[in-house]
Order: sequence, then structure tokens, then C-alpha cells
Amino acid sequence: MLVWPDLLFPEFISACLFLLTFIILSVFVNAPLLNRANVSITPNPSKAPWYFLNLQELLLHMDKAWAGVLLPGIFLAFLAIIPYIDRSNEGQGVWFGTRYSARITSVTAIYSMAVTWLLVLFDAGKFERLTRFFPTCDEEQPHHWPPCLVGDTGLEGLRELQTRMRFSIGDFDWPQDWRFPLPKLGGFSELRFKNLHLWGDMNINVPAVMVEQVLPLLIIVGLALLIIYVLFRIGWVRTTRDVMIVMFTGAMASYLALTIIGSFFRGQGQELVPPTDIRVDCGTIPTPPGCP
Amino acid sequence: MAVVEEPGKPRNWQERLAIIRDRLYDRLFHNYVWRSIFRSGYPNTPRNQMLVVATNVFLHLHPTRIHRTHVKITHTYCLGGLSFFMFIVLTVTGVLLMFYYVPDVNRAWQDIAALETNVRFGLLMRNLHRWAAHGMVILVFLHMMRVFYTGAYKPPREFNWVVGVVLLFLTLLMSFTGYLLPWDQLAVWAITVGHGIGGSTPYLGDEVQQVLFGGFEIGQGALIRFYTLHVLGLPLLAAIMMAVHFWRIRRDGGLARPL
Ligand code: HEM
Repeated sequence: MLVWPDLLFPEFISACLFLLTFIILSVFVNAPLLNRANVSITPNPSKAPWYFLNLQELLLHMDKAWAGVLLPGIFLAFLAIIPYIDRSNEGQGVWFGTRYSARITSVTAIYSMAVTWLLVLFDAGKFERLTRFFPTCDEEQPHHWPPCLVGDTGLEGLRELQTRMRFSIGDFDWPQDWRFPLPKLGGFSELRFKNLHLWGDMNINVPAVMVEQVLPLLIIVGLALLIIYVLFRIGWVRTTRDVMIVMFTGAMASYLALTIIGSFFRGQGQELVPPTDIRVDCGTIPTPPGCP
Repeated sequence: MAVVEEPGKPRNWQERLAIIRDRLYDRLFHNYVWRSIFRSGYPNTPRNQMLVVATNVFLHLHPTRIHRTHVKITHTYCLGGLSFFMFIVLTVTGVLLMFYYVPDVNRAWQDIAALETNVRFGLLMRNLHRWAAHGMVILVFLHMMRVFYTGAYKPPREFNWVVGVVLLFLTLLMSFTGYLLPWDQLAVWAITVGHGIGGSTPYLGDEVQQVLFGGFEIGQGALIRFYTLHVLGLPLLAAIMMAVHFWRIRRDGGLARPL
């Protein structure tokens, strides 16, 4: 078909419609302009732009470098190399061109959003009852076995594995005894970057590394592998393209879920609250009562 | 053109109207000035229509013919085109905003406040710029999803997908750098969050904060960096990448279609 008129007219019309929509929107809804920036008044909560709220949300649950830099970097790198992993030609140029791709997409999207929500709720202590089976620690005892929790509630988040859980293997008490100096690696230990030793001179705090890095990453990778495996076993996932669909859809869906949680469910002090309870305090016009 | 031969006497008012219409058309479109701009009239044959698309500087981004399946709105939902359109809207409104904005921490906020109240259509332009920026981020994400689910990254389009990922990243950066410019509580504290994230880069945290944010807190250093990147560096880069993106679509044989 000819580009003029078959493509140009739809293009022109959709451009006009969009322009019109945006003009109408702009007439009725003003872009926000709060008070002039003031370094001494931190708004509570202070939030990143919405498309980065997912990263801000991740920061609440794991190590900063992983949540803010490494995982997004890996995500972008993954996006970029998709075509080099999935090189087949099947299903090209039509929506959901392979046999089960539409189902894979919808099931993965639902799974991924649900799991994201459950994990966030777990970290907010909503499933604390499920871990009440851990006995309460007897603080008089020097060592603990089986594993116990300080206080009488269950786990109110992954990080409590470090702060509230106690157990001992022999005289070795979790968490305070689980710090080890890095083994010396000959000349490599002398390598420096700026003032930092790349290796050596450091203690590994095993409990911190576990709750901040290892466990969160294992959970993410594990849940991804789980859905791929299940869909493979029931015969929906058959090709590399299908695996890519699961990974892409899963990543996009949890990105979306985290964005929604970060935007609408994080109130003061980044507490998890229903959207109706979110109030940005100081720094708005008119300034609410109680602000400096 | 319907040049009236033998004018004769018009018999009824329809004919009278037709004559007036044709004369008007001649006056408007067949005069010296118009002809100097548009060399030919409305292209009403397929041959001329193809020629127009191939030779017009704005239209030649398009191929002259496309496959039937791609004309259906539901194949692309126009998402790539609309992302590009948002980019144009942002450029136009952005240039207008630049007339009234000075990237100085002592002035920036006042400039925006004054733009909203003292400048005719200032508020409208700012709103348009803001909403179109959000719109562009959403549209680019949706465009990426449409390309993914139609399997359009497959050979020979691998590299264009990579160009797309770069464009996605640039779009996010353009939006992020613009966020700081109003210098209000929302802007500065949002960028402070980003500053914190940048500082957590393994080994390079301090460098990232120094180079990208101009210091250990958000101040004039950050504002001028973000401003320059926002109005010049990033859009220039994005425009170049878009040119490559569009060019590659044609080199790769138009949009992907079933084999
Ligand atoms: C500023 C951002 C972008 C602009 C302005 C843009 C523009 C366009 C346009 C106008 C098309 C023609 C077809 C259509 O409208 O769908 C297109 C196709 C394409 N885009 Fe983009 N794009 C952008 C970002 C991206 C991103 C983020 C990706 C992927 C990661 C991407 C990958 C592609 C590919 C592979 C095609 C070819 C599709 C096919 O052959 O069916 N683009 N782009």
C-alpha cells in the first residue's frame, strides 16, 4: 500500500488527537510547583520521579548498590542482548506469534505482580504470624538452638533474620560471631583503587551480606527460574523465544507493581499504607499546619 | 485542475458557487509564491504520491510503500511515531520555556513562578511540556512492549532494538534531568533520592556524585549540569539515535512481518 495516503493520514490524525488531548489536559491540570527548594526541610516522604520509584522501592528491601545501580544495569543489559539470545525467526511480525505466547504472557504477568506484592507485604511484617513457630529466645542462655527470635512476634521482614534471630552452632553465635576477615590472596590483596583495598583489610559480615544481598538475589532468581520451570513442565514454554517472553514479562510486571507500590502505597517514613493515607507534608502550597 | 473552460453564463446558484470556488482555489494555490514553495499540486495519482514521499524532506523518513498489515492501527498502535511526536512537542514547548528560565539556584524557582503568572500562555506551555514528558516515557515503554510482543527484534533487526534500548535510557535521563529544573521542594528532593542512589555505585559512588551531580549535595553544580544535559546534550544525542533508528527501520526492510 502507499504511504501517501494510507500511512500519512492515520499518522496525522493520531498526532492531532494526541496534541488535542494534551492541550485539554494542560488547560485543566496544572503541573505541580511546590515551595522553593529548602535544604533544611525534608518532605516526608520524599520521592523520586515515578519511573524511578520502583528503584526507590527496591532500596527499602535490599542492598543499595544492588537495588539502585546493579539490578537496573543488569536489566538494561538484559534488554539489549535479548535479540542476540533469541535468534530464531519464529513468530516474527505478528502479535503473540508463537503457539502459547499469549497465555505465557498473561500468566507470567499475574504471577510476577502477585509475588512482588507478597514479598513487599512480607517485608512490611504483614505475614509475621506465619513465622511464630520460632520459639522466643531465652536471653539468659549464652547459646541458642534451635533458632529462635528475640521478642514474641514472628519475622517482620527479611532483615530481622539479622537483627532478631539467634542461633548457635557450637559456640558460634549468629549474628555476632559470623564475621570473617577476607582470606589473603597474595599480590591481589595489595591492589588498591583510590584509597580502597579491592580485597583484604575487610571483614565479611555474613549475616548482613545474607539479608542484604544473597537472599534477595536468590529469591529473585529463584522465583524467575520457578515460573520458567513450571511453564516448561506443563509444556507451554518450548523455545528460547518463550523463555524471553517469561523473563521480559516478569521483569516488566514487577517493575510496574513496584512503581505502583512506590507511588500509591508509601506514606510518611516510607511506611506501607493504603493510598488514602498518603499525605505529603511540608513544602506544599498552602503549607499545611505544623510545618516550620 | 478544474479550470473553467468557456465561462459562459452560470445557470443556477450551484454553478455560480462552483465558479467562485475554482477562482479562489486558483488564487490560493496557483500563484507565484505558493508555486515557489510547493512545485506540484496535490498528488492525485499513485505515481505522484510515491514521488512526494520520496522527495519531500520531511516525508522521506517514510518508505514509499508499506505492507498492508502495517497500516492496521493495531499492529503498532502508532506508538513509535507518537513517541517521536512527543519529542517534537517537547522540543517546541521546551524552546519557549528556555526564553524565560535561567538555571541559577537563586532565580530558577522565581522564573518558573513568574512564567506561570506573568507570561501569556506560560502556564499552558509549562503544563504541556510536563505532561508530554510523562507521556513520552509511557509511550516509549509501550512501544518497546509492542516491539517485543510482535517479535520485531528478530533478525535482521537486532541492532535497531539495541538502538531502541539506548533511546529508552536517554528518554528516562531527559525526563530525570528536567525534573530538577523548577528548583522546588518536589524537584530537589526527588533528585536527592537519585543522588543517593548514584552514590551507592560500588567503588565509584563519589565519582558518580561529583561528575553527574556536581558535588555531595544538590546545588548550583547539579543544576547547571542537569540544565545543559537537558536542553542540549541529551536531546542532541537522542535526535541522532532517532535518525539512526528510523534509518535502520528502512534498511532492515521496513517493519517486521511474518516470513
Ligand atoms: C525515543 C524513543 C523511540 C522512538 C521515537 C521510536 C520510534 C520508532 C518508530 C516511529 C518506529 C516505527 C514503527 C512503530 O511506530 O512502531 C519504530 C520501530 C521500532 N522500534 Fe522504536 N522508537 C523508540 C524507542 C524504542 C525502544 C525503547 C525500542 C526497544 C527497546 C525500540 C525498538 C524498535 C524496533 C526493533 C522497531 C522495528 C519494529 C518493527 O520492525 O516492527 N524503539 N520505532
